[in-house]
Amino acid sequence: MQRDLRLDNVGRRYGIRGPWVLRGVHLTVPPGTLIRIDGPNGTGKSTLLRLLARIDAPSEGRVTGRPRTAYVPERFPTALPFTALGYLTHLGTVHGLSRPAATRAALEWLDRFGAASYARTPMAQLSKGSSQKVAVVQALLAEPELLVLDEAWTGLDADARAELERAVAERTAGGTAVVFVDHDPSRLAGAPDATYTVRDTGLDRRTEPAPSNPTGPHVIVVVQGPRAAQLPTDVPRTVASVEELTPGTHRLTVPASHSDVVLRTLLTARPSWHVVSVSQERPAQPETESRR
Amino acid sequence: MTPMNALLRYQAALLARSQRWLPPFILYAVFLAVGVQSGQPVLDSLGYAAAALLPVAAWLVRICVTNEPPAARSCVSAAVGPGRAHLAALLVALAAAAALGTVATVVVTLISNPAGADLQTRVPRLPAGAAGLLAALACALLGTAVGALTSWPLLRSTGRAVPTMLLAALLSVVVTGSPAHAAVSGLVTGSRSGTVPLPLLPLAAAALLTAAATAVACALTSRRSP
Repeated sequence: MQRDLRLDNVGRRYGIRGPWVLRGVHLTVPPGTLIRIDGPNGTGKSTLLRLLARIDAPSEGRVTGRPRTAYVPERFPTALPFTALGYLTHLGTVHGLSRPAATRAALEWLDRFGAASYARTPMAQLSKGSSQKVAVVQALLAEPELLVLDEAWTGLDADARAELERAVAERTAGGTAVVFVDHDPSRLAGAPDATYTVRDTGLDRRTEPAPSNPTGPHVIVVVQGPRAAQLPTDVPRTVASVEELTPGTHRLTVPASHSDVVLRTLLTARPSWHVVSVSQERPAQPETESRR
Repeated sequence: MTPMNALLRYQAALLARSQRWLPPFILYAVFLAVGVQSGQPVLDSLGYAAAALLPVAAWLVRICVTNEPPAARSCVSAAVGPGRAHLAALLVALAAAAALGTVATVVVTLISNPAGADLQTRVPRLPAGAAGLLAALACALLGTAVGALTSWPLLRSTGRAVPTMLLAALLSVVVTGSPAHAAVSGLVTGSRSGTVPLPLLPLAAAALLTAAATAVACALTSRRSP
């Protein structure tokens, strides 16, 4: 079975004579990849994400592959006649979980996002940020094969933003493909496998190499391996840079969102690696978190 | 739980908890209170109850289709596909209309006079109730078709959709050739002659039309903007 999602020469317009929003788009989303979509407002980023999530069909071209998909919209409504937990249990079962498993996963994820206390609050009484957490949890609780995030970070508090970055890192390490749009250029900085820009109804892959001095917080991890061992294959893909200090000792610069995933990979490798130190590296320029 | 079962439960819970089902249910009760009195010929009253169910079914479809905010619908559509998400909403509306029609049929059968229009010929209650139930189902089905064809994704603006729905519902009851008209007039002529009809053909025709209307609506969900 083919799990890669592929867009082949895809175009989309609204209405039979409407202007083309997107045209001639080719994109392949293999499992486990993290893809960022950039572009100014109103250029069709959301349209592209809706095509990828297969909520909308293309007006021309073909979309193939049908991974189990979860989608987080930009703004999530509170006009639903359920409690947060009630809604999430329903959505968990819609995503294919059993009812008890859905409730358990919903409580676990609400807790991770610091929202466990609103589990039994009616959705209509939730704040904008809290209902956005419900939207995010809805997408994560059934471990989808494709996760589509349309500015999912907007409206979340700082802790929840960081938690969502870590959740994305965990899911991609677990084989989920993630496609996201976000206004903050430091979002998951250094982590995406590919960045595309929507421009003049087309899609350009950003080709310039990743900046050597990546923006966004990074973590320095020093690890020591078994004699003459190579780093586990997943690790070099995730880290921003690797430096071999002495034979067998490596200094890894890891995007902060991915430190847990890298450490887990190293500690569970056979034979396991020894973690010498973990420290935080601050980027030169201040973080661009203080908008809105 | 299979996703389709889960979807149906979700849509049913949305409808039940939204309480938007109350106005059509109340309107239907008022229809029956005005048009059906105990002691009237059973088949005539059953025909009236079935005919009045058609616009109610169309209204229930409109409620189920517009009940979920677009962003929430997108989340469900991503998980199961937009066509299936829409199908679940239509099926829940149909089930609600069918349940309402069943209750009304039972009540009308019990309180009516088991006689023909002349009040002399005996019309047995049980076959009459069965015929009334089939006619009610035919009207619930056709009402679902009308609702599906006059709401999102086919008609988006409420200003056009609601008058179109009401007109289409009215025509479906009164125009000769419509399965609902055939089922209802079958009951009325049966009441005159004192024989109980079995409106299986109208029911089958209504089922086919509704399946086609549902297929069209579900296929269009991914092609229209929200």
